[in-house]
Amino acid sequence: MTQLTIRTRLIMLSSALLLVLAATTGYLTHTLADEAAATAKAADLLAVADQASNARIAFGELRYWNTDLAVSQLTLSEQKAAAARERTEGALDRLAGHKPERIAQVRSELADYAQFAGKAVDSYTSDQRVIGNSLLAQARQHSLVLDELLGSIVSDLTADATAARDRVVSEAATATRIAYAIFLAAVLAGALLTFLVLRSISVPLRALVAAMNGLIAGQVAVEIPPAGPDEIGAMARILALFRDTLYELRETLARLKAAQANLVHAEKMASLGQLTAGIAHEIKNPLNFVNNFADLSVELLDEVKVATAPAVAALGGEERAEVDETIGMLTTNLEKIAEHGRRADSIVKSMLLHSRGGSGERQSAHINVLVADALNLAYHGARAQNQDFNMTPDCDFGDGIAPIDVVPQEITRVFLNLFGNGFYAANKRRGQTTDPAYRPVLKVSTRDLGGEVEIKVRDNGTGIAPEFRDKLFTPFFTTKPTGEGTGLGLSISYDIVVQQHGGTITVDSRVNEFTEFTVRLPRAAVAGGPARSDNV
Amino acid sequence: MNLRVWRFAVSMLIAGLVPLSAAAAPAADEDAAIAESLAQMLRAARTVISDSQARIDDANVGDKGLGGRVVLDLAIQKYKATTSVDPMSIDPKSRQGTLLQTLMDAIVEVMDENQSQINAMGTGFKGFIPAVFARLVDEAFARRAKGEAEIKVTAPANLVRNRKARADAWEAEVMSTKLLQADWPRGQPFSAMVQEGRPAFRIMVPEYYAESCLSCHGTPKGEMDKTGYPKEGGKEGDLGAVISITLYH
Repeated sequence: MTQLTIRTRLIMLSSALLLVLAATTGYLTHTLADEAAATAKAADLLAVADQASNARIAFGELRYWNTDLAVSQLTLSEQKAAAARERTEGALDRLAGHKPERIAQVRSELADYAQFAGKAVDSYTSDQRVIGNSLLAQARQHSLVLDELLGSIVSDLTADATAARDRVVSEAATATRIAYAIFLAAVLAGALLTFLVLRSISVPLRALVAAMNGLIAGQVAVEIPPAGPDEIGAMARILALFRDTLYELRETLARLKAAQANLVHAEKMASLGQLTAGIAHEIKNPLNFVNNFADLSVELLDEVKVATAPAVAALGGEERAEVDETIGMLTTNLEKIAEHGRRADSIVKSMLLHSRGGSGERQSAHINVLVADALNLAYHGARAQNQDFNMTPDCDFGDGIAPIDVVPQEITRVFLNLFGNGFYAANKRRGQTTDPAYRPVLKVSTRDLGGEVEIKVRDNGTGIAPEFRDKLFTPFFTTKPTGEGTGLGLSISYDIVVQQHGGTITVDSRVNEFTEFTVRLPRAAVAGGPARSDNV
Repeated sequence: MNLRVWRFAVSMLIAGLVPLSAAAAPAADEDAAIAESLAQMLRAARTVISDSQARIDDANVGDKGLGGRVVLDLAIQKYKATTSVDPMSIDPKSRQGTLLQTLMDAIVEVMDENQSQINAMGTGFKGFIPAVFARLVDEAFARRAKGEAEIKVTAPANLVRNRKARADAWEAEVMSTKLLQADWPRGQPFSAMVQEGRPAFRIMVPEYYAESCLSCHGTPKGEMDKTGYPKEGGKEGDLGAVISITLYH
């Protein structure tokens, strides 16, 4: 039924009900017509019987008035007798069609009676009483036969009429029972059909209302009833479309909010970068002086040591030891100054690099190659710095990833940063954990998303506490001990991925379980990004 | 019937103004005179009965004192008062005297034969009314006259109550074509010589409803009168009856 439209269903329901009504009415009309015909027939028979009875009564009156006439000689009686005979004849005329033979017999007897009665009255009028009596006796014989005939006809017709009436009553009772049965069946069928039609409407409608309420409550995952071909199905399709649109709107809103946050963050990063660049530029020159003069001072101190060696040798032991110690301390101090100066220089260079804003050229490169090279470099670099370092890289590179336009050096720096952080975290956890089964693992995977290429770097290290996640890409933020990190690695990586390549970099982490960075790089260059070079 | 009308009619007959068969003209005068006396005597006796109707219908009185001789004497008085002729002075051997005596005998016979009915106590209306009396007298007269003359009070068919008073063909024809015509002179009889197997003088003397007649024959039409017969709806002056007299030659 749900394959039909509501309009069709209602039309079918109405048609069915009307059909039942028409059929019932037709049956009743037909039955009533039959009953009416049978009733009319019974009534006709009764009327005929009544006519026969009337004929009998009229003949009785005829006999009475003839007798009265014989006695009274009144013309009134004669007139009454004539009228009674006329009524008798009229009734016989109306009966002739039903009992023709017997009516003919009655007419014959009536004629004989009238003849003898008339002669008898004439005899009485002529004062011939004896003759009148004789004639009247003969008339009486005919009247008895005639009355008996009429009586039998009345009985027969009354019996026929009674039988017809009984048939009518019986048939009416049967028709009434059938009509009741039809009415009951029609009511039940109508109720069932109505129930089915209403159910076929109300059930999906209720589901639709529930879905609407769910959507109003913001449940975009609400289940929408299957869309049938009817009007409710159309509503369901529209509601599904509305739900999808709402879902997309919400997704779009979320993306917009994220983009807004990213923009705010990027703006913040850009401001910090500019600030950093300015600071670095200002620090660079005095730092060069410090470094240069530190180096020069070391050299000068070496020369002083050489020049003063004879004199120092001439000194007493205690004095010479004090001089040596002082010179040694100066040398150490100068070396420290030089060391930290170089470190500061490195920081400044990184700051300047951070603020440089992507100076490289875009080239078409295979991302899997870049990732593999960077992983190899980082791994061996880590091994070189720490002989105890041991990790199992797990590579899952997507097949057939087409070359992508990037600045290879910059992207390599990003991967080096991420791999280095992963090695550090995993190694740190290895040092902290008491689980002998723990094995540091760095999993790197690539995937082609069509318009983008996705690179995931996941380690099973110490993880990142939730409170630090908003600060990860902030310059100079680091959780490493002083001297082990500048706090610029992720900031620079963010700048390269987001600002230079128009991609995204996100992080997911759970403390002491894992940290996973996801980098997505658009396949095509974005506006404002570095210029593309095809000379790879 | 109005006496002056009757006299006028008879005078007209005698004067020959009413057409009679030319061949029978001499006898017609005598026949008319005889018919007048017979009709007057019948009317006189009938009037006596009419005048005595209340006494006849008195259920509480036995002997009403209306024996044949009494009624005849009263009738003779009325006859004399009406015609100024003493019927007893008419030559009893003449045809008129013979027929008139026959009629008077018939009156006595009828009254005497019906004394038990008239004097019955406990019964009010006995049906002995002037019309019945007249019919019985006519019948008795016919028996006594032995074919010499007949008297019958008849009427148009719609007014006849007793089938013995039904008009014969000649009477019906005369009423239809003469007496009931609008231009027929009121009260004028019609007579003619006819062949009834033998020559006969027939005369039809119209009678009109008087006020006393209307208690039984007046309005409203169809209402039962005291005899149990529906009134005819007649009005005073309407033709109510015809005395038909036949004198055989």
